[in-house]
Amino acid sequence: MEDEHANAYAITADGLTRSFGRGPGEKTAVDGITFRVRRGQIFGILGPNGAGKTTTVKMLSTLLLPTSGRATVLGVDLSDHKAGRMLRSRINTVSGGERGLYYRLSGRQNLQFFADLYGIPKRDQKTLIDGLLDMVGLSDAADMKVENYSRGMKQRIHIARALVNSPEVLFLDEPTVGLDPEISRQIRALVRRLADGGTTVVLTTHYMYEAEELCEETIIISRGRIVGSGTVGDIKGIVSESTVVRVVTDADPLPAAESVRTYPGVRRVSVQSVGGRFDVRIDTDGEDGASMRHIEDRFREYGIRSIGYDEPTLEDAYLRLVEGEP
Amino acid sequence: MRPRAVVAAFKQQAIHFISDPQWIIPSILSPLLFTAVMLMLYRDLTGPVVLQAVLGGGVLGMWANTLFSSSYSISFDRYNGTLEPLLLSPSEITDIVAGRALWNALIGLSNALLVFLVSELVFHTEVSLLDPVMFFLTLVLTLVSLAVIGILLSTAFVLSRMGSVVASMAEYPIYVLSGALVPITILPSGLQYISYALPPTWGVDAVKLAAVEGYQSMMGADMLVDIAMVILLTVLYFLIARFLLKRIERRILETGSSTVY
Ligand SMILES: Nc1ncnc2c1ncn2[C@@H]1O[C@H](COP(=O)(O)OP(=O)(O)OP(=O)(O)O)[C@@H](O)[C@H]1O
Ligand SMILES: [Mg+2]
Repeated sequence: MEDEHANAYAITADGLTRSFGRGPGEKTAVDGITFRVRRGQIFGILGPNGAGKTTTVKMLSTLLLPTSGRATVLGVDLSDHKAGRMLRSRINTVSGGERGLYYRLSGRQNLQFFADLYGIPKRDQKTLIDGLLDMVGLSDAADMKVENYSRGMKQRIHIARALVNSPEVLFLDEPTVGLDPEISRQIRALVRRLADGGTTVVLTTHYMYEAEELCEETIIISRGRIVGSGTVGDIKGIVSESTVVRVVTDADPLPAAESVRTYPGVRRVSVQSVGGRFDVRIDTDGEDGASMRHIEDRFREYGIRSIGYDEPTLEDAYLRLVEGEP
Repeated sequence: MRPRAVVAAFKQQAIHFISDPQWIIPSILSPLLFTAVMLMLYRDLTGPVVLQAVLGGGVLGMWANTLFSSSYSISFDRYNGTLEPLLLSPSEITDIVAGRALWNALIGLSNALLVFLVSELVFHTEVSLLDPVMFFLTLVLTLVSLAVIGILLSTAFVLSRMGSVVASMAEYPIYVLSGALVPITILPSGLQYISYALPPTWGVDAVKLAAVEGYQSMMGADMLVDIAMVILLTVLYFLIARFLLKRIERRILETGSSTVY
């Protein structure tokens, strides 16, 4: 049966669940998650290590069968192994890291190999591959063996590899992990261009700024369950009423921090020593509970360098959701 | 099956082979050494016995090569991290393994020819082939039949951590059982049945029929029966291997891991 929203949604997941192992050792990596991804959207899956992001991506990309629940990609039901196979020519995946390439082949040979596996006609391959190499900025290194590539180059050839079949849905599992800021920025620009061109992108990441910059909608998962979802704005909204107070002191203000922690409305206090100074961060529910004046009084004896308010960030919302605080 | 994927895997294997000289030991040196030893042992003999030794070395070359390169096929991808992109593609794993096995078989064939050449030039064996065309043809058939066993063994590697043990153990038995070294009629009768179930046995028999004047088939078969049997058994083995590879894929999708034991 076709999903009635098959045209609007590239992906639907309903109670999608995946466990590993049997008996007492059984572990539920993804525990009944439900979400929708619209066509042409960049969709983020955020969550700490072991949350179940990769497991979700593997299920959606036909590499792992769900234990229960239902998921469709481009209208194809993934619990049907045979139908799932047919889907493979229309999707692709990039995983972060250096593995997954033939090191003794050049970048171009890797792309040719995979283009052949996808049945791309030989006459179209040259234009396609030259275009992809140019897109990821590897035209000059195209004929060099991948074993001599830097990490960033390997990651870019990975992306080119995943584009040989011009996928309608592209899964990116931590595509910028371990890369320098400049290359990460290039990759993000590339992802943006792909989405502008109509590709649906599902992105998992640990980097909040990456999600903030790219994702129109995100889900945050923790221990296999969705703990937050919506646009980046929606998620930030969870902490919108709260305020972050930052104080920088000359002496270690640990006793003050301890007492401020007990003030009404204070969620968390952390102290970091930075280059001989002390950076105090106080998360509050609002300005009433712990007013600036109260805090200033309490920290004065430690020599206040600066004091101010900060807007809560996506990261604050993320941490609140993942740590399961109310 | 996707012929383009088979060819792509063939090329990929070729590039990997050429850029990795370690394969020279199992695929070129050891069969040559083997033949040299045999020829030195049979130094005073002539004719069919010498030919038998040369054939033995040739088959060893083909087999050792197929065994050690084809059976690692999928394990290599698993270790290399390329198994996922391969599974993700619409091509079958069988296409990939078959393409690689064909390259390995080709290298095996050149090994066998090298063994003949060295015997001629270095040891001056002066063996004359009864029917050179048929000889070459049956040699190629034998080779394909060995490649298919390689594909089958590649599943053992994935299915079991004991895969490498299985492959190492398979090196000599096949060699003996296929009748490449000694006539299978001297084997215990139980083992003879295993021999008959192996495609290369019939291939080796056909090769000998084509090469050696007055050779009597061990199975009492003639050339046609031999050829029919190699083809039949090779196709059968291929279908079994393909079935197992599909099961392995299914297994990976179900358990999230490719090892069963
Ligand atoms: N094949 C497997 N067999 C058993 N357990 C598994 C398997 N794959 C994943 N898991 C477990 O499932 C849980 C979720 O793992 P997953 O890789 O999906 O997390 P993740 O969110 O991608 O984490 P990370 O950010 O570290 O990549 C983990 O506890 C992991 O140990
Ligand atoms: Mg992961």
